[in-house]
Amino acid sequence: MGQDVELLDVSMRFGEVYAARDINVHIQAGEFFSFLGPSGCGKTTLLRLISGFMDPSEGQIKIGGKDMRGIGSNNRPTAMIFQNLALFPLMTVEENIGFGLEVRHVSKAKRTKKVEELIELVDLYGTGGRMVSELSGGQKQRVAIARALAVNPAVLLLDEPLSALDLRLRNHMRAELRNIQRRTDVTFIYITHDQTEALTMSDRVGVMSIGKVEQVAEPDVIYNTPKTAFVASFVGETNIIQGDIIRIDGDYALLKTAWGSFFCKNPQHITKGETATIFIRPETVFLAEESTAENVLACRTKTISFEGAYAVVTLTTEQDQLFTMRLNNDGSVPKLQEGEQIKVRFSRKNAFVLKNGGTPIA
Amino acid sequence: MKSKSIFKFMIGLYLVLFFAYMFLPLIFMTIIAFNANDIPQITPWKGFTLMWFGELAKDDQMWSALWNSFIVAFSVVAISVPIGLGGALLLTRLQFKARNFVYGVLVSPILTPGIILGISTFLFWDSYMDIPGGLWTAIIGQSTFISSYCMLLIMSRAQRFDLTQEEAAFDLGATHRQVFWKITLPFLKPALISSMALAFMQSFDNYNTTLFAIGVEQTLPIYIGTKLRSFISPAMNALAVIFIILTVFGAIAYEYRRRREMIKAAVKIPPEPAAQVLGM
Repeated sequence: MGQDVELLDVSMRFGEVYAARDINVHIQAGEFFSFLGPSGCGKTTLLRLISGFMDPSEGQIKIGGKDMRGIGSNNRPTAMIFQNLALFPLMTVEENIGFGLEVRHVSKAKRTKKVEELIELVDLYGTGGRMVSELSGGQKQRVAIARALAVNPAVLLLDEPLSALDLRLRNHMRAELRNIQRRTDVTFIYITHDQTEALTMSDRVGVMSIGKVEQVAEPDVIYNTPKTAFVASFVGETNIIQGDIIRIDGDYALLKTAWGSFFCKNPQHITKGETATIFIRPETVFLAEESTAENVLACRTKTISFEGAYAVVTLTTEQDQLFTMRLNNDGSVPKLQEGEQIKVRFSRKNAFVLKNGGTPIA
Repeated sequence: MKSKSIFKFMIGLYLVLFFAYMFLPLIFMTIIAFNANDIPQITPWKGFTLMWFGELAKDDQMWSALWNSFIVAFSVVAISVPIGLGGALLLTRLQFKARNFVYGVLVSPILTPGIILGISTFLFWDSYMDIPGGLWTAIIGQSTFISSYCMLLIMSRAQRFDLTQEEAAFDLGATHRQVFWKITLPFLKPALISSMALAFMQSFDNYNTTLFAIGVEQTLPIYIGTKLRSFISPAMNALAVIFIILTVFGAIAYEYRRRREMIKAAVKIPPEPAAQVLGM
């Protein structure tokens, strides 16, 4: 069974530099939780703190309600899957999986039984006697998972274990991981810089910028209502327009920009007169009809790349700024020529304005 | 066309000269071991004999020197390999400021002439510590530089060790001791075995350091050296022939084993491609 993991005001300092600062996250028992962020944002540090390779400079880490300070990683209810997998090359698949039990002096008979169970769980049937070097990439991945699960961890920590695989195998392993997590009910904490990976697999995602957690929420909430400009621009494709707020209209704001005036949601309740940034997802931009009056942008098509189910159209405005639109191939879209003058629109419900910079809001 | 054949001829000549230079002395020495001549010379040939081997077998001094050589060599292995291992682990994983200095100190005995190591070992123990020279000082003296060799050898493998393997083992619940015995040491095993062999051989035929450190005792090289200075006997050639035979057999056995393992590895069935395993 999984246990919950609490990070309370956790900071990690290396010399003068903070790799993580004032992190507060409560990961539920049995949850699939991802930390998503660019490389160098401190997410691996966070994982190493939870696994016990180091203790935080400040703050507290609790697993299953118990303070973990001073407890070495060999005595924590966690198991880690390393980015390079760190399989033991001189051992067979069975020996690798059974290692955690062997060092705990579990009897040979019990060990064999457990190893067999795990080989079945991760679908490695028939490879038990092979050396690790004789396996394919996906099989190695499974050995690493089985080896970590063998010690019955309450929390499984995964440090970008899929990054070395090719796209097809990666998609397959994503589904597999999610599946294994559901079957075992262990808390999974997953580290990745790949937003698709985080969004597709996780119950909740924590988006990190440099040393900070910017937002913790369900994947759709992260995508649809990002709390900060950093989250909005890091997760998913987005169009950005700078402007000044000239009017407040309930939950909406009217901004004056170099491209015209636009209405959009104002979740941070930014006040009139401030300079802020509008974010618009490419899939919420459409061709404007004659009758449209609000949020219309005049521009010229630059490139059109047809991808089958949809076409990605890049547009330039008079100010020579780029804007992207994603048109679904539903038969209603007229054929566009490159260099054509068109008008596009977006709904005020699908655009939102956020404060400049990456400061999270309370 | 012509320059090509000249080139071929030169290469051939070079090889003949090279091998003659390498092996003629050994061949001469071997022939002398079977010549029934009191003086170790090829001519005059006084008939084939095995008497020098018999004489060698009766030489008590030789046996005791050989026994001493084994004691010293095994002791040197027992001391140098652990010291080398410790130094190698220290230098490959710790990043401290004095690292280069420590490296220099640990390697310096290799660069110091053997005679100086021998004399200083003897002086230190004999004059300052009041422990007379003997096998003990020979072991210490040899270990000073042989440990450095072992360290360099083990370091070259330790540098290729992936430290996350230790973390993984530790994370899976192993104690530090278990990590060392089950993960680190097995990885270093090939380097440990070759450093043992190297230490043994370095010790076994060491002359310079041993001569000055050993006091009144004798190891085999010291015994041979003394013998060659006092009176020359073909029995020494017989001894050399025995060592040549042992060496050649050792080399052949090693090569045979290596080739057999290569064939074994080549015969193994290659792993299935990923797509097949995933049923795609």
